Amino acid sequence: MAMFDILPTAFIFFAGAIIVALLPSGRIRSAISLLIPILAGWQVYNLPVGVFAQIELFGQTLDMMRVDKLSRVFALIFCLAAFLGNLYAWHVRDTVQQLAALFYAGSALGAVFAGDLVTLFFYWEGTAIASVFLIWARGTEASYQTGLRYLIIQITSGVILLAGTALIWRETGSIAFEQMTLGSIGTWLIFLSFGMKCAFPFLHNWLQDSYPAATVTGTVILSAFTTKLAVYALARGFAGTEILIYIGAIMTLFPIFFAEIENDLRRVLAYSLNNQLGFMVVGIGIGTEMALNGTASHAFAHILYKALLFMSVGAVLFRTGTSKASELGGLCRTMPRTAIFCLIGAASISAFPLFSGFVTKSLIIDASAEKHYTIIWAILVFASAGVLSHSGIKIPYFTFFGHDSGLRPKEAPINMQLAMGFTAFLCIFIGVYPEPLYALLPYEVEFHPYTMGHVVGQLQLLCFALLAFAFLMKTGIHPPEVRAINLDTDWIYRKFLPNVTAILYKGFTSVWDDAANLVKTGFAEILNLLHKVYGPEAGISSVRPTGAMALWIAVLLAFSLIISYT
Amino acid sequence: MDHIPSDKSEDNPALGRLLVWFINPKNSKTIVGVLIAICILLFLADFAYHKHGHFAVEEYKGFYGFYGFVMFTALILAAKSLRFFIQRPEDYYGDSAIDHEDYPPEQLEKMEHGDV
Repeated sequence: MAMFDILPTAFIFFAGAIIVALLPSGRIRSAISLLIPILAGWQVYNLPVGVFAQIELFGQTLDMMRVDKLSRVFALIFCLAAFLGNLYAWHVRDTVQQLAALFYAGSALGAVFAGDLVTLFFYWEGTAIASVFLIWARGTEASYQTGLRYLIIQITSGVILLAGTALIWRETGSIAFEQMTLGSIGTWLIFLSFGMKCAFPFLHNWLQDSYPAATVTGTVILSAFTTKLAVYALARGFAGTEILIYIGAIMTLFPIFFAEIENDLRRVLAYSLNNQLGFMVVGIGIGTEMALNGTASHAFAHILYKALLFMSVGAVLFRTGTSKASELGGLCRTMPRTAIFCLIGAASISAFPLFSGFVTKSLIIDASAEKHYTIIWAILVFASAGVLSHSGIKIPYFTFFGHDSGLRPKEAPINMQLAMGFTAFLCIFIGVYPEPLYALLPYEVEFHPYTMGHVVGQLQLLCFALLAFAFLMKTGIHPPEVRAINLDTDWIYRKFLPNVTAILYKGFTSVWDDAANLVKTGFAEILNLLHKVYGPEAGISSVRPTGAMALWIAVLLAFSLIISYT
Repeated sequence: MDHIPSDKSEDNPALGRLLVWFINPKNSKTIVGVLIAICILLFLADFAYHKHGHFAVEEYKGFYGFYGFVMFTALILAAKSLRFFIQRPEDYYGDSAIDHEDYPPEQLEKMEHGDV
């Protein structure tokens, strides 16, 4: 690696993946999988600010390592997430999943450090290809099909990114990945590409479709990288783009309704993830230093508590075979530690004071208030109450408390407990002592989350919402969990388009058949006619006696003789 | 499982026996009572300091509590009615959909409490 002044962080993961592949399956492999993110994280933490690892390719400079405070904070949390995910997956002996996790995390880190759009494109597609194996590893026909849908959408996002890059290069002669202004087709294409990965409204459904289909450990790993890479890319390329404020506000809003009525808890968490992305996108759209700090810190905190929630539901799935709310309940009896870890994740995502979400989300909400986006602010506060309803209450309540499902599963395996415990510790640590996280943020932080107004306001919002929940449960108004699915935009390509195609196919084939019949019968009739006229039985070709002809000629000759000699 | 041990059973982990207090129907009145008391205290807390929000509406005492209660209820009611439009049976997308299959058991360690 002498060609680089700094070894690209992604290569640490790729080299580690190759080592893992060569080692026999077992504990040593799992240990290497844990060691790699630690090594990478240590490297990232000590990186100087600047652009490194440049290579010349076809007259363009590719920047493999653009290090600044924005890329560093995302890279750090990606290393941390890879470590926690691999610890949670310590027991997994499936080579495909182990390699996929490392290549996936490596690609995400490569993309975060990419200083140009071509490098970004390669790693962008790398995350798509590596991650789909975490879905396919489930090994069922359903997961195969879901994985294909996921892959098509992810690859399309990359292709659009490449198209946008080509247009921008033709326009400006540069492939540098810098702040862009929406205007030309090229910039819009790149915006669309980022938006697909970031699960913008109507482009979002790959997320809820695919994450519940992955393996128990795969979902935990998936939850960290792809969407937060998109958040990073938007923050890098489109900070202060006003349309993002409105897109983000819608993102915080609509998933909370779907999450509320969804039965599969891993899909509830996928909707909830979508809602949290909305807060980050609003922060990018506002684009002030405070708002961008909010986005970066919220991404950091979110990766941890979201992973923690996916881990706790995953542990339940691992022990009971189901993650459906309708089948669960009362598990705190025998899985009390997992229950408490889940509650910590729930408190963090709901942004209770002293938990991580509180010190990061209030940066974004305050930034929106400071700019006097009244409606946006009202939506964000409402969405915060919505988060409490599905992630804060529904996940822990219907799994670990609530009615007794009769299930008495064994507590989660020790490696899962360790991963959850460590993540839970970080959620509380950030909430109680946010300064180390604030110090990592792209800009100077002048924000005090623990003011009387913030704490009382937030506690009022949450406790009165809890009271509303108690009231709705007592009165039986709260909808029960039922075994069912809910339609979302995936209906368009899973049901509507296939049906339309089937109908069109039927229509086309019947028209074709008619046409073919018509041609066939028409042709046959013409043949018949010809046959009648020229066929061996037809009058025209019948055999007449030559004698008659001779006789008539004789008559004609006789007639002409008589005329000539008279 | 043939019989479900009582919640007080020594078989359950100690932490589990503590948490079970929260699901005992006998305690639900206490829990709701404590919650109401907390809400009242939080409302009264608004009188104890001068609020200086970015919007006039924030100045109202108990604004966040009111907003939280009303919007939470509205959310639940709206979501409940949304079910009417978009709810479908689990086999709606056919057999090759994850909602209609069991998680492959060989990838799990399904165990009950007490199993080793």
